Amino acid sequence: MFLNPWSLALTLCSLVVLVLGAIAGKTAVRVLRFWEPGSDSNRQIRLENEIWLSSTLVAYGLGFQIITLILFVLAADQFCQVIVGAMCATGALLADPYGMPALLVKLFGVFFYGFWILLHQLDIRSEHYPLVRIKYLALLLLLPMLVLDASLQTLYIAGIKPDIITSCCAVVFGESTGGGTNLMTGYSQQGLLMAFIGSIVGLMAVGWGLLRRWRSWLAGFYAVGWLWFFGLSLVVITTVISSYVYAMPYHKCPFCLLKPEYHYFGFALYGALIPAAFFGASAAIAGLVRGKVGLAGVVDGYQRLAVKISLILLVIFSGLSFYHYLKYLISGGEG
Amino acid sequence: MLIELSGVSKIYNQGRANEVRALTDIDLGVEQGSMVCLKGPSGSGKSTLLAIIGCIFPPTSGKAAIAERQLARLPDRFLTLHRRETIGFIFQRFNVLPELTVLENITLPLLPLGVAPKERKLRAQELLERFSISHRAQFPAGQISGGELQRVAIARALINNQPIILADEPTAHLDTTLSREFMEIMQQLKATGKTIVIASHDPLVFEHPAIDRTVTIKDGRIHVP
Amino acid sequence: MAQTNLEKQINILDYALSSLWRRRMKSLNVLLVFAAVIFLLASFQMVTQALSDKAKQVLVYTPEITVQKMSAGRQEAIPLAYRDKLARIFGIRRVVPRIWGYYFDEVLLANYTVMGMDVEEMPEGSRLDTTLASGRMPTPDEQGRVVIGHSVKKALDLEGRTTFSFFRPDLSLKAFTVSGEFSRDTDILTNDLIVMNLADARDLYAIPAGMVTDLCVYVANPKEIDTIARKISEALPSVRVLTRPQIQKTYQVVFGWRSGFGSICLLSALAAFVILAWDKASGLSPEERREIAILKVLGWETSDILAVRFWESVIVSGLACILGITAAYIHVVYFAASLFRPVLMGWSVLRPDLHLLPRMAAGDILLILAFTVIPYLAATVIPAWRSATVPADSALGG
Repeated sequence: MFLNPWSLALTLCSLVVLVLGAIAGKTAVRVLRFWEPGSDSNRQIRLENEIWLSSTLVAYGLGFQIITLILFVLAADQFCQVIVGAMCATGALLADPYGMPALLVKLFGVFFYGFWILLHQLDIRSEHYPLVRIKYLALLLLLPMLVLDASLQTLYIAGIKPDIITSCCAVVFGESTGGGTNLMTGYSQQGLLMAFIGSIVGLMAVGWGLLRRWRSWLAGFYAVGWLWFFGLSLVVITTVISSYVYAMPYHKCPFCLLKPEYHYFGFALYGALIPAAFFGASAAIAGLVRGKVGLAGVVDGYQRLAVKISLILLVIFSGLSFYHYLKYLISGGEG
Repeated sequence: MLIELSGVSKIYNQGRANEVRALTDIDLGVEQGSMVCLKGPSGSGKSTLLAIIGCIFPPTSGKAAIAERQLARLPDRFLTLHRRETIGFIFQRFNVLPELTVLENITLPLLPLGVAPKERKLRAQELLERFSISHRAQFPAGQISGGELQRVAIARALINNQPIILADEPTAHLDTTLSREFMEIMQQLKATGKTIVIASHDPLVFEHPAIDRTVTIKDGRIHVP
Repeated sequence: MAQTNLEKQINILDYALSSLWRRRMKSLNVLLVFAAVIFLLASFQMVTQALSDKAKQVLVYTPEITVQKMSAGRQEAIPLAYRDKLARIFGIRRVVPRIWGYYFDEVLLANYTVMGMDVEEMPEGSRLDTTLASGRMPTPDEQGRVVIGHSVKKALDLEGRTTFSFFRPDLSLKAFTVSGEFSRDTDILTNDLIVMNLADARDLYAIPAGMVTDLCVYVANPKEIDTIARKISEALPSVRVLTRPQIQKTYQVVFGWRSGFGSICLLSALAAFVILAWDKASGLSPEERREIAILKVLGWETSDILAVRFWESVIVSGLACILGITAAYIHVVYFAASLFRPVLMGWSVLRPDLHLLPRMAAGDILLILAFTVIPYLAATVIPAWRSATVPADSALGG
């Protein structure tokens, strides 16, 4: 279903991102082939300038990626109005096999862009530009990801077949009830909540420990912990938190939170969770390049900052997560 | 030595048909608090030398240390970061942005340093008073007299309290009175401990008593008479 | 550190503002064209959105299932006897017969919608009285009583009198007395509507006794609509079964398609604008080159100049969005989308004095941003980089 403003906007954004990505890729190839630190040849001067082009393009790419991620979820929410059996964005995303993969690739893209920008920021802090090769090799990896992103999205949009009343027979006997409304079932809410709270406490303890005394194995543990917590949070948001926000026990959807009916609550929730996970994991990733010339001090500074930011965001996220739950417990469900 | 060049060469478009050898084997040392004039006809390479001292680009070969920092192999970004801490530039024709006010022109170097507006204004006003152009603060720089313009350009070179002042043909478009005034201000600055390098072939400059040393550049080399 | 960075961005933003102001003619050009493109897209989006909202409102009043008889692919009268067959299906709350038709007034060249049904039979029949501005709904045993909508009253010029006549198919006249009037709040539904009882409608259209145009089926549990629809379709093979969700989805598709089609048409305008933006951004005058070189000598980094250009683009986009979206809202609400009317009229849904009230959710604004701001930013990024890499040494010398 391409003839729909949401599909068109997504396709347009993908095209724009692909073009920008291709330009950045061209720069990457040139830098990898011709980079000569210390030379003052015209080519080197051009390449030094092109570093700014590629970093700007990636920064724009990150912005566009975040916008298309939101747009994609909102588009799915629009599509559900035309698909039999889809009650909200979840149903629309599950309506064909490419929906969820496309969403996950987009989400992964946000992290990828983020890590690249981190590498770039670290790199330009040292006058030796020690990460140039790593940075531009990573940039080359971005291109296949963009292509994958665009293809999955296109396949998804192409696969959406709206049900239109035909003149011969009006009823499409779709699987109209049940299936496709809930992403996850079969988890014990109590168990999940315990794991969730346990993870929050654990992360805070590890983060605090790191701030007191930095140990790189602990930083690695912290990063892995954040990845685990990120996945767990998505499950908990879907199966537990969302239904308290909606005040409907059987409405379990991680996307409707983004709608105005719920005061755009989801934007605050994900807006805390995603950056928190990014900063939490990035501390260890920055640690990987600590050994490069001139980066030790910069990396140390960044790591402490990243852990602090992730802890602050974790507190905000926990507050947001439990707000509706506690409100429900205290007020007894109504109000 | 605040400025220390040894064996500095600069070749533009190296390895191409339009290769130009602008500087060859320059050795130069300038002590803190001294005033040096780079003399030579246009095209002699003195602007290139000034640009290297001013951290605008690195030399092709040789060692250049400005304020105790080696410029060779330094990427453009770090040259800029070093430049804004150490070098105050006074351009030929002063190069103000005519539509910005005098105050805005003077504080331009402070914007990327993240200096808050209040602080910027404070620092600028101090300089404006010192050069008695406070009454022109809110005038567009394109509408003030040549003498005032010259003082605006000098104030801009001092705003970040840089230790080195570089001036590129500052008197080329000034009459004698203003040229003399310019050198007087330079002399005062020298007295406050600034290191000053002026590229000029104006006798009013290189014959001025405050000049400690005149270096003559000819065909990209230091000319010893 | 973070403090200085923030302060620096504010300084740069400040500089970008003044830089835009210094080149105000050039900026204004881009801004106005940009705002016009956003205006077109946003108007289109708002119109289709408002229309689809209206359609949703209308659909709330339609029965969950409508049963019509089909013959040779066309709709024809359905026997009332089918009611009994339907009554046996479990889960149906009530079946209400209805005559739904149009009456073309040859004198006034106006088209009215005629609905004949016995209001009391409807599950929420009594609630309908609240939609009346005056009078009451006709009962089954009153002859020739009607309730009319606002534009019917205007067309028939019924100020001061309450009777009028329509022609039967055999050209004999049938007289009606107005017993009530719909309130203007329900114009979208009732503007051109004439409601009468079933017997009167049958008389007006000369439909044989025991026949109606469709049967409205009300269902006890909305979740069972599809199941019941399937059972009806199995019990009565020759009928067409329309369900409310189905109609809703069809409307959605049509509106989505329309606004998609409109967007494609407007994409050409967008493309033209992007080319203009690229062109304006890349034409670097000698003064601008000189300015950038001076800034660089004075200690501005390449990334600082890029930030200036970025903020300029953001400011232009922001202003253009505010201008364009506001203008679009005024255009749609106060001028009833008069620019698009020729296009939309042909697709029939718009009635002449339809009042449109679009609601713009954050998502819709994001959609418009995705259509306009992203291409604009992308079109200006490379010219911005070109200008930011003007070498510092070009400010030296001559």
